[in-house]
Amino acid sequence: MVSHRLTLDYDLHPGWLAPFVEGLVAGRAMARACTACARTSFPPQRTCDCGETSADWVALSGLAEVRFRTRGADGDFGLVAFEGADTLAVVALDGLSDGAKTGHILASGGPLARMAVGDLENRAAP
Amino acid sequence: MYLTADAVEWTLAQPMPDPSIVVTGASLTPFNRRKDGSGFRDWAFEAFTSALAMSGLVPGDIDEMYLASESDFFSLQLNPASILASEFGLHDIAATRCEGGGASGQIAVHAAVRAISSAAARHVLVVGVDPSASSLSGDAMRELYGFSFDAWTDGMNGVTATALYALSYLAFAARYGTTDADLAHVTHQNRTNAGRNPGAHLRRSDSLAEIAESPIISNPYRRLHCAPLSDGAAALILSRGDVVPPARRGASRVAGIGASGDHMHLGARRDPGMFQAKTRAMQRACADAGVTPDRIGLAEVYDAYAGAQLQGLVGLGLTEKPGRDTASGVFAADGRCPVNLSGGLMGQGAPVGATGVAQTATCALLLEGRYHAELQPDRLPDYALADTHGGICTTAAVTILQRGRA
Repeated sequence: MVSHRLTLDYDLHPGWLAPFVEGLVAGRAMARACTACARTSFPPQRTCDCGETSADWVALSGLAEVRFRTRGADGDFGLVAFEGADTLAVVALDGLSDGAKTGHILASGGPLARMAVGDLENRAAP
Repeated sequence: MYLTADAVEWTLAQPMPDPSIVVTGASLTPFNRRKDGSGFRDWAFEAFTSALAMSGLVPGDIDEMYLASESDFFSLQLNPASILASEFGLHDIAATRCEGGGASGQIAVHAAVRAISSAAARHVLVVGVDPSASSLSGDAMRELYGFSFDAWTDGMNGVTATALYALSYLAFAARYGTTDADLAHVTHQNRTNAGRNPGAHLRRSDSLAEIAESPIISNPYRRLHCAPLSDGAAALILSRGDVVPPARRGASRVAGIGASGDHMHLGARRDPGMFQAKTRAMQRACADAGVTPDRIGLAEVYDAYAGAQLQGLVGLGLTEKPGRDTASGVFAADGRCPVNLSGGLMGQGAPVGATGVAQTATCALLLEGRYHAELQPDRLPDYALADTHGGICTTAAVTILQRGRA
């Protein structure tokens, strides 16, 4: 056996996703609203299900309703519906209280732009 | 280039080639965590030479090669298709790598089928291989797999494959009413089959109580509901019907293939619990084969998690009552349509790139009556199904094989 350590330092560029990524860092849910059918996606879809590629960036309230929740050794995650979005989102549930049905998007604390939802009182300042 | 009238006449005078595609060679190495110092090049070579010997062909007969390998991160080898082609003595043929996450192997099978169907090749080698167990730590693999979904959303969230599958299954269970007991039935059945498969990674038959008490990874999934990552390889040789060696003329045939995709974001799907890509892939494969799902007599179904098998059975159109039909033995080894006689990913294991190739090879060996004796059904069905997917069924690819006639 040969042991080898490879360290990789990436510079990743979000491209068209920049408003979404910058929103997560600041604790804002930036969604895409289709200019043809108004379907609003979060996380954002580049091409709407109707086929339209033109869309406007819109800021959602950040409130999220938990539809399904899983927890265990891998962490606490949920499939949630953000207020104003027509799609669901998979998010990390960071400290969301047991039994809580709603939460609020959190500002990313680390170097990665995370979609995370926590208790309402922990929301980012507007 | 212009064809002369004579050339056109000559072309038209050729007999039409037999359009059927025959599985002339099929082989799997054992799946496990290798501790013998061997590497992925050894396993791929072993699978290749075994499949070639079964086919009755020689290396010079192979026109093209498709390699399924999920990630360079596992092997630390970019462009592995050229490396393996060279090691196989096939350096002068087209060697192409296919990648579609967990579906990589079945995508490679489909590429080979299309190469023959398009008359570009007569004999095509398909190899699947990955060192998914022994190269990197479990934590490193978990992090890498987080990036096999959308890296900018799911990956950076730190969500694991188990958590994503769990969320999808919870949505499915809410619709179909499946329970922890159904997850236990699937787990027990697949691992029991694996116990009779000498090449399986997890040759253990856990009791229902042991399954129910194993540690929670991401509820409702417990450790024993999850497939292991494995080392190993599988190989197939597909041949055009009119050039099959005489000894292999009774081998099984590719009856139909189908593939489809779905939204990469679970939450963008109409129903996050349904494997709709699998349904579309199966519909296309059935149309290609001219059959309906009720003609399938055995199946290797992609069971990365116990619940994924229940979701898959519905997606494939094999049942609308997945819990009831699993518990009543419809999909048991002696049932109407045995599922995962190999043990599936949960029992046989999952060297990811090899998985789809291995599922198809298993179906071919079963249809020929030459699978492991303890698992070989007495009655050979007419059709078998190999079902593979990548992501949370974001990429689905299925192949239907038909038993050959001696």
